[in-house]
Amino acid sequence: MIHNYQFNFQELDISKNEISELLGFNGEEMPEPFGSYLEEACQDAARLCDIRGAVYISENIEFISNNSAFTIDGQFFDAGKLISRQLKKATSLALFICTAGEGISKKSQALLHGDDPAKGYVYDVLGSITVETAMDKIQRQLREELSATGEKLTNRYSPGYCDWSVAHQHKLFSFFPENHCGISVNSSALMHPIKSVSGVIGIGKEVKFNKYHCEMCTSETCIYRNLRSRAEKIF
Amino acid sequence: MSELLSKLAECIEFGKINMASPYPPQMKGQEGADEITRKALDEGVNPQDILSKGLMPGMERIGIKFRENKVFVPQVLMSAKAMSTAMLHLKPHFLSGAAKQKGTFIIGTVLGDLHDIGKNLVGMMVEGNGYKVIDLGTDVSSDKFIAALKENPNAVIGLSALLTTTMVNMEKITREIKEALPGTLVTIGGAPVNNDFCMKIGADNYSPDPQGVVEFLNTKIA
Repeated sequence: MIHNYQFNFQELDISKNEISELLGFNGEEMPEPFGSYLEEACQDAARLCDIRGAVYISENIEFISNNSAFTIDGQFFDAGKLISRQLKKATSLALFICTAGEGISKKSQALLHGDDPAKGYVYDVLGSITVETAMDKIQRQLREELSATGEKLTNRYSPGYCDWSVAHQHKLFSFFPENHCGISVNSSALMHPIKSVSGVIGIGKEVKFNKYHCEMCTSETCIYRNLRSRAEKIF
Repeated sequence: MSELLSKLAECIEFGKINMASPYPPQMKGQEGADEITRKALDEGVNPQDILSKGLMPGMERIGIKFRENKVFVPQVLMSAKAMSTAMLHLKPHFLSGAAKQKGTFIIGTVLGDLHDIGKNLVGMMVEGNGYKVIDLGTDVSSDKFIAALKENPNAVIGLSALLTTTMVNMEKITREIKEALPGTLVTIGGAPVNNDFCMKIGADNYSPDPQGVVEFLNTKIA
């Protein structure tokens, strides 16, 4: 069964301080024009964002003995050892998709490639934090629903990261109706709109939410490094 | 002249676009790259000197600050915007041959990957350092790189990837480029790659930051 979610931008309650930090202004006041850009982007986001998500949960799962792959309803996912190991104590798996919508993705791309890349970057960061915050909210709702049974959730893991081939995106999306939540996948397995995420979450009494291992990556300025340290505080 | 060009370099370094721009706060109300470039041309300063002694030193300084984590993406983008504003005045001179770019750099994010902020920064920084940049965008196949190379012989290729799973496409693209056009230089970058990976796939350079790409190009071309 597929659980659907829809949010408006305001109910995500994204703090401007948090966006400011993700932009690189750590604790300091944002100089102009960035303050105005952010103000404009946040006002625009209410109109531009079409925030939708969906989760498919299956108990029909099996882990392959070498710990690098699993199946969901008979579909084989070779997600790599790093991810499969984190999931292996799960008794069910939740596949998720979520998007901030086409409007904000298009707007940030137009600005980034047009005459105001700096403003485009503000919209881009806002789009990323919007979709991640929406998924945080979905994950929190799932956790609350499961808490009565004593079940817990793992972190979210996505194709394209930690050796899980992005090509598996097609298999993941086969669990959802075509163009569900307005998200499609192209021949290179890339999602459209750009500000979309997908992946898997493990569910079970023995699973754990772990710290992300961003220290393994060399990108000091990666926005996801900051988003993930934030997730560690939330869950 | 040197005072004008050093003021221009400062505008680029701090992202001062024009007089109306409020950024950076410490230069509010002052002339920016737009006005100073125009003034320099009006005073008869050689367009090549404006590029090499005004714009490029400014871009180099912001590139070094970014490498040292003294500034972040937004500040670099403001510098790039100041740079592109100045370049609008210089473009007619490049077209007429009065000023020359150092060479051509073709950049793209590899097949299967849509991440482009890092790639865009590299493109802007390289352009700001005097090269013609052809940006092929994201999700770019070997065929597109090879077609662009055939149109721009002797160009250097820049490959970008953010995903651990798309960095493998760099190997295939590098191999196919070098098979199609031997001698082509390929530089790679992106969060999951490093120098060992660069050597393994037969690329010519790995740079962890945009300034590194500029330095590589300056060594090989300029």
